[in-house]
Amino acid sequence: MTFKEFKKELNGNRVEGELIKTVFYSLLTSFIVLGILYSLKFRFIEDFMSTKGYFLFFAALSYSLFVPTIRQVRAYREFACMAGMMIGMTLGMIGGFLSGFFVASTNGMFIGSVFGMFVGMSLGIWNGKCCGIMGIMEGMMAGFMGGLMGAMTAFMLFNDHLIASMVIVFLISSVILVSLNYLIYREMKLEERKLKEDHLRTFVISFVLIILTAWLMVYGPRSGVFG
Amino acid sequence: MKTKTIIFAMIILVLIVGSFVFVNGKKETANVSSNGGQVIQGQTQQVILSQDGYNYEDAVADAGKPISLSADSSVGGCLRSVVFNVEGKKYSKYLKTPKDTLDLPALSKGTYSFSCSMGMGFGKIVVK
Repeated sequence: MTFKEFKKELNGNRVEGELIKTVFYSLLTSFIVLGILYSLKFRFIEDFMSTKGYFLFFAALSYSLFVPTIRQVRAYREFACMAGMMIGMTLGMIGGFLSGFFVASTNGMFIGSVFGMFVGMSLGIWNGKCCGIMGIMEGMMAGFMGGLMGAMTAFMLFNDHLIASMVIVFLISSVILVSLNYLIYREMKLEERKLKEDHLRTFVISFVLIILTAWLMVYGPRSGVFG
Repeated sequence: MKTKTIIFAMIILVLIVGSFVFVNGKKETANVSSNGGQVIQGQTQQVILSQDGYNYEDAVADAGKPISLSADSSVGGCLRSVVFNVEGKKYSKYLKTPKDTLDLPALSKGTYSFSCSMGMGFGKIVVK
């Protein structure tokens, strides 16, 4: 019953009604940035699409799922401990895992895990702080573990259906993130929205994440086997 | 904009960008390369890798001849998945059986290190 309400709310006036629009704006930002970079620079790089294009495409899709969750969390500002810990953990883990996975697929395990931990822990701490120190710690730990795990998984799957694994990992992560949106709605459906903001933050977060990822993949340091 | 319109626009956008990426990606030679196109018949030298503890035994090859690399039955686990970085280009293949080969270009004199795809086992080819 509540999920039906959630689906209905995706067209409503609460923050949930802005989630799909946020995904769209984030995707648009990332694709425009990637399109400009591709036409100016990346298309001259040998084997760009097969070595980096797939991963950048899925990175853009993944980031477009983080941003609406950040917006939803910010809209309610304060959560109960359990919900806050779930938010910190989910965003930290999925954020770290996916970004680590994508970068490790092109640059090797070291730089992949460093980037994964950076993104995962940043997202985990930022969103986990909605419930205080417990959420912050949970986000930090999940980002730390997710970043390492994502990079390691990509590196281990290097010669064994890496692209197919990436699609599967992305699909599972999407389901988890949508479930988190639902969890937040369930927890907060009786609460009033505390922060109303425009989409500037959506553009900025998407821009920063996709630029960082693209820069690392193309110009960033690599481990020995990646040349 | 209505939610349904946004979802429709989003799907179209993802399909267009996705098909561009996948169609162009398939046209190019993948980074994981092991095609026999660059090996000249009659000049290819066979190099067989063996396992030594947790690493590969050092192998020896002649300079200026393309290499057809295989791994004998002593090589197990992730060490059967070999990754080379030769002049910034990655050569990699899972050598499932001793008959599977990874084709490398002709190398100049020197020592070339390589690893398994998990970065756990290491080895080197000394080109003389």
